Amino acid sequence: MSILTPEQKQIQQATREFVAKHIIPVAAKYDKTCDFHPAILEAARESKIFAMAVPKEYGGLGYDALTQAVVLEEWGYGCSGIGTTLAASVLSMDSVLVAGNEEQKKKFFEPMVRGEIGSFGLTEPGAGSDAGAGKTTATKEGDEYVINGTKCWITNGGFASVYVIYALTDPTKGMKGLSAFIVEKGRPGFTIGTVDHKLGIRSSNTVELLFKDVRIPASNLLGKEGEGMKIAMMTLDMARPAIAALSVGICQRALDECVKHLQQRFPDPKVQPGQTLQFKLADMRIETEAARELLHYTMRMRDAGVRYSVESAECKTYAGDMAMKITSQAVSLMGSYGYTSEISKLMRDAKIMQIYEGTNQIQRLVISRAVLAPAPAATAQKAGK
Amino acid sequence: MSIHLTEEQQLIGKNAQGFAKEYLDPIVVELDHTANYPADVVKKMAEQDFMGLFLPGEYGGAEAGYVSFVEVVENLSRSCAAAASIVVNHSLAAYAINRWGTPAQKKEYLPNLASGKTLGGFAIFENGPTPGVGPDALKAEKKAEGWVLNGTKAYVRNAGKAGVYVVLACTDPAAGAKALTAFIVNGNAVGLTVGELKETMGLRGCPVADMNFENVIVAEAAVLGAVNEGPAIMAETLAVAAIAEAAQTVGIGQAAVEHAAVYSKSRVQFGRPISTLQAIQTLLAETATDCHLARLGVHHAAELLEAGEPFQVEAAMVKQFLARLHSKMLLDTVQVEGGFGYSEFMPLPRLFRDIAGTTLLDSPADYPDKTIAAALLA
Repeated sequence: MSILTPEQKQIQQATREFVAKHIIPVAAKYDKTCDFHPAILEAARESKIFAMAVPKEYGGLGYDALTQAVVLEEWGYGCSGIGTTLAASVLSMDSVLVAGNEEQKKKFFEPMVRGEIGSFGLTEPGAGSDAGAGKTTATKEGDEYVINGTKCWITNGGFASVYVIYALTDPTKGMKGLSAFIVEKGRPGFTIGTVDHKLGIRSSNTVELLFKDVRIPASNLLGKEGEGMKIAMMTLDMARPAIAALSVGICQRALDECVKHLQQRFPDPKVQPGQTLQFKLADMRIETEAARELLHYTMRMRDAGVRYSVESAECKTYAGDMAMKITSQAVSLMGSYGYTSEISKLMRDAKIMQIYEGTNQIQRLVISRAVLAPAPAATAQKAGK
Repeated sequence: MSIHLTEEQQLIGKNAQGFAKEYLDPIVVELDHTANYPADVVKKMAEQDFMGLFLPGEYGGAEAGYVSFVEVVENLSRSCAAAASIVVNHSLAAYAINRWGTPAQKKEYLPNLASGKTLGGFAIFENGPTPGVGPDALKAEKKAEGWVLNGTKAYVRNAGKAGVYVVLACTDPAAGAKALTAFIVNGNAVGLTVGELKETMGLRGCPVADMNFENVIVAEAAVLGAVNEGPAIMAETLAVAAIAEAAQTVGIGQAAVEHAAVYSKSRVQFGRPISTLQAIQTLLAETATDCHLARLGVHHAAELLEAGEPFQVEAAMVKQFLARLHSKMLLDTVQVEGGFGYSEFMPLPRLFRDIAGTTLLDSPADYPDKTIAAALLA
């Protein structure tokens, strides 16, 4: 286990208590109803959960990245569906942190500190992995932008009060014409489309967002026109480790459930599971720890202000893959019990970790490009010639 | 081993495929949603002789052998693995009675099992680590009125719908798992109750429940095989189950690969169909290869079984191979379809949930390794 400061440990403990009290007992129920329970939101408000990523000067708690990852792991441990709802709200702030001006930050962070929900809208039906292929447009008319188009698979889309939406201000330029906007709930023409029903993380809300001549003030533009792709990429750098954190939580939960199950099944110390099972448990533990360490290392880089795009992709890919591997091991290890219990939920939930926030194939593209890129020294030398 | 199917086997497989398209494809989504036992479809499957494929002709079976059986199971699973599960679990009871039954037992039970008039169930698991050992293990006590059964069998498939069950009970609590005996128990036996249906991740529609025995009295003639022959009956029947479930896995995997391939051709990202991306091609190629190799393993084990040769090691190897893949076939095909693949409006999530059942269920995770190693080390 990574070495944490006393303050981080205390936050971890408090989060564990929150999760044990408010999330674990209701996780199965809301997985079944595919609903997010408002009581969790109340509790989250009370615990100032959404304020953790808001800088102190805006009334938030201003946790560093590592502490946020520690909190997110506990959410993933309790229920990565509910964890996704909470995390997506926190992550919706990232684009504003990256590119927002003072006024925009105030505008966006205030509801966050109050415990309202935020949402991040980039993906479109034809623009998943190829995030630059979106068709949603934002046309400037006077001191307003008019947004038209459809976003899909938007987490928290159904009940957020503030959104960061990506739209093309210059469709002729493709992804170089992409811009980011703050859009408030209730703008005329802004409606919710189909609600998706998913294999896992079912208590999280995933919807289509429909924009028909939605007018927003020009002051809602984040950064400059055409900076959307840059802002989105920086946002995703920040968001990916959050998925790694939820994944590590899933890994730890699966391991703990396996141990609990085997202890119940083999109460006699003289009759213990064989080495095949013992070694599987050992592997689960190694993989969980490795995923957690890679995540914490990445967060320490971010906290130190070092560029961490590649590590961000690495920790998300590894932790997501391990969550999938370990949860299917867990179902296998527990046989019929695994298949008919909450353990199977862990496996359904884990699959999305390899998909959202950029599929693990896209991450591997990012990583392999970095590996194959000429070393900075070599580039500099070449330039010198 | 021969890889070629005979004309008859091909015909039976093709017929099953046609049946599945006509009768299973239209119901599969709703069945997965409601998990209501598909009585009509089971009746139709019985009309096709699917319930008595390998049973001898003298008892009304199709006498088509085990290769035909796995062909049918695979083809049904391509459309609806839950319906195939009902056939498979029925067939395990039929297998055990056909293999170890006395002429009188066979005459009594096989004709109705073969015609599908009676559904079979095979109840071996318990809440303890091994049957016969746990606190609520099913115990059989010999008394004047016959054998008296008390205890619980856990996770029984076809529970509540089967008219006849083959159950394993412990005849000597001191000897535990060594003193297991198989009994044939009628579904309507007095004192036999079926617990609440369990919510399963996949294979929904094939009922799973615990079965409670409270002073269930069965006659001496209900003993299947010899007293204490239970462990051998369990091992061999579970090996048949391993082959059949592997056939289900192959069917589900095949359906998933085909769906993902079609999807990848229509999904355009980066200005071209993702099927042109090497990484996607690799996912598809690996998945198709796994599927093919598993099918060869299934057919080989089924041929051995059909030829009356030892088949348990080969059955365990197929199970081991598939368990080691961690349902990789489905994990990767969902991956090909990305966000769409995760949506329950698309077929892959159901296949994902089903394949977890056919690869990960039905025996302790270390069973195949133990069987294979024991053969190597003997």
